[in-house]
Amino acid sequence: MKDFKTLKPWRELPAGGVILDAGNSVHYETGTWRTRRPVWNADHCTHCLTCWVFCPEGSFELCDRPSPGSRTRKAIRAIDYFHCKGCGLCVKECPVNKKGAKQALVMQAEEK
Amino acid sequence: MSPLVAITGNGAAAEAMRQIDPDVVAAFPITPSTQIMEDFAKFHADGKVTTELVTVESEHSAMSACVGAAAAGGRVMTATSSCGLALMWEMLYVAASMRQPVVMTLVSRALSGPINIHCDHADAMGCRDTGWIQIFAETNQEAYDNLIMAPRIAEHPDVRLPVMVCMDGFIISHCIETMRLEDDAKVRDFLGEFTPVHPLLDTAHPVSWGGLDLQDYYIEHKRGQHEAIMNAKAVIRGVSREFADAFGRLYDLFEGYRLDGAERVLVAINSVCGEIKEVVDELRDAGEKVGLLKIRVFRPFPYDEIREALRMARIVTVLDRMDSFGAYGPLFTEIRTALYDLEPRAIVAGRTYGLGGRDLFMDDIRGLFEESGRCLEKGNIESVSGYLGARGE
Repeated sequence: MKDFKTLKPWRELPAGGVILDAGNSVHYETGTWRTRRPVWNADHCTHCLTCWVFCPEGSFELCDRPSPGSRTRKAIRAIDYFHCKGCGLCVKECPVNKKGAKQALVMQAEEK
Repeated sequence: MSPLVAITGNGAAAEAMRQIDPDVVAAFPITPSTQIMEDFAKFHADGKVTTELVTVESEHSAMSACVGAAAAGGRVMTATSSCGLALMWEMLYVAASMRQPVVMTLVSRALSGPINIHCDHADAMGCRDTGWIQIFAETNQEAYDNLIMAPRIAEHPDVRLPVMVCMDGFIISHCIETMRLEDDAKVRDFLGEFTPVHPLLDTAHPVSWGGLDLQDYYIEHKRGQHEAIMNAKAVIRGVSREFADAFGRLYDLFEGYRLDGAERVLVAINSVCGEIKEVVDELRDAGEKVGLLKIRVFRPFPYDEIREALRMARIVTVLDRMDSFGAYGPLFTEIRTALYDLEPRAIVAGRTYGLGGRDLFMDDIRGLFEESGRCLEKGNIESVSGYLGARGE
C-alpha cells in the first residue's frame, strides 16, 4: 500500500486530472492485479510475435535476433511482469499452443 | 443604444450563440428547447457562424461530443431540456470534473412521469450536484445576458467549469418579449479570445484527459473542483460588473426586490418572480412590508450574501418548482441553512408549486403573503412545507 501522505497536495495537481507527462503509464504497476501468470518457454517459441501483437499491455519485451540473409529480426526476450495483468490472451492466441504438441506459453498460478 | 427586439427566449438564446460563434455545438432537439437549435442550425446553414455543428443521435452523445471538443481546445455550447438533460447525466459530471468550460442553455421542463412537456425545475435542480455552475433567468433578456456572460465565467482561470444557463420552458422559451439585442462586435469584444488549457490538439505538448483516478488522487481532484466552483462566486460578480459597464444592465448573485425593511419575504427562481414583483408593488403601495429575493446563481449558492440580505426578515416563504420526494425542496433547504446562524432568525416555510407547468396566479401569491402575515401575528407557522395549488390540498 502506497503512503498517500507522500503524494502531492491538491493545489499542486493539474486541474481536471489531466496527465501532462506523455507515456507515464509505464510507471504504474498493474502486475499486482494478476491472479495467474503466463510463463514463456523459449525452447518452444517460434518468435512469430503473435503474443506481442495481442498483449493489451505491451508486456512482451523484444530483442534483435540475427536471421538468415544477415538481416536481424525482432524476437521475444521476456515478459514484463510489472505490467502484465495476467489476462491470458497470449496463451490463448499462441500458434504453437494451438498446434497442441508443445506449449510456448502456459498459465500458472501466481506465487503468493 | 442597442435595438429593442421582440423575440422568444429560445430565439434570444440562439442569437447569443450566434454572437458567441462557438467552435463546436453538439445538440439533440427536445421540447421546449428545440427552437434554439433550429435557429442556430439556420445561422450555420446561412454561414453566419463558423461553428462545427454536430447533430448527434442522443443527448448522451451531445454532451460527450461537447466534452471531447472542449478537451480538444474549443469553445463549446449546447442546449437541452428535461429528459434530454437526464440522458446527459453521466457526462455532466465528466464535463465538470474534467474542468471543461462547456456552456449549456437549459430550458426547464418537468421530468417524467406521467410525461409532461411544461415548465418546472426538476431537471435543473436534479443536476445541482454535478459540479456545473447554474445561473437562472427570469426573462428573455436575462437568459440572453447570462449566456453572453457564461463563456467568460466558464473559461476564467480561477474557475474552468461548465455553466448552465436556465430559463423556464414555454413561459420564457416560447413567449415573445422585447429586449435589447446587443451589437455583434461589442459582444465579441466583451467575450474576448478563448485560450484553452492543455488542449488535445496541441500536438507539440501531448496530454491525456480522462484518466483513471483511484484512492490515491481522486479526492484531491474533487477538492480542487470544490475550490473552483467556490471561486466562481467572485468571478460571476466580476464578469457581471464588466457586463454592466459594457451594456448597462447590472446583475448580482441574486436580486433583492424591495427588500429594504421587508418583514415578509418570498424567495423564488425564474419567471414566477415577474408576478411576485407585481404583487409586492401592490402590497407595498398598501403599506405592507413585503419583498422578494430572486435567485440568480444557485450553484455556487451564495449563503453568506443571502443571510445578510434576509437578516431583518421575520418570515420567509420559499417557492420550489420541483419536489425532492421524501425531503424538503432544494431551494427551501438552502435558504433555511443560510439563515440558521442568525439570531434571531426568520421563520422559514417552503411551498412546492407549478409542477408540470401549473400556473401560479397573482391571487396565489397574495395568498402566500396573507398566510405569512397570519403566521407573524400568531408567532408560529401553519406548515413547514407543503404543496401549493394541488387540488385537495
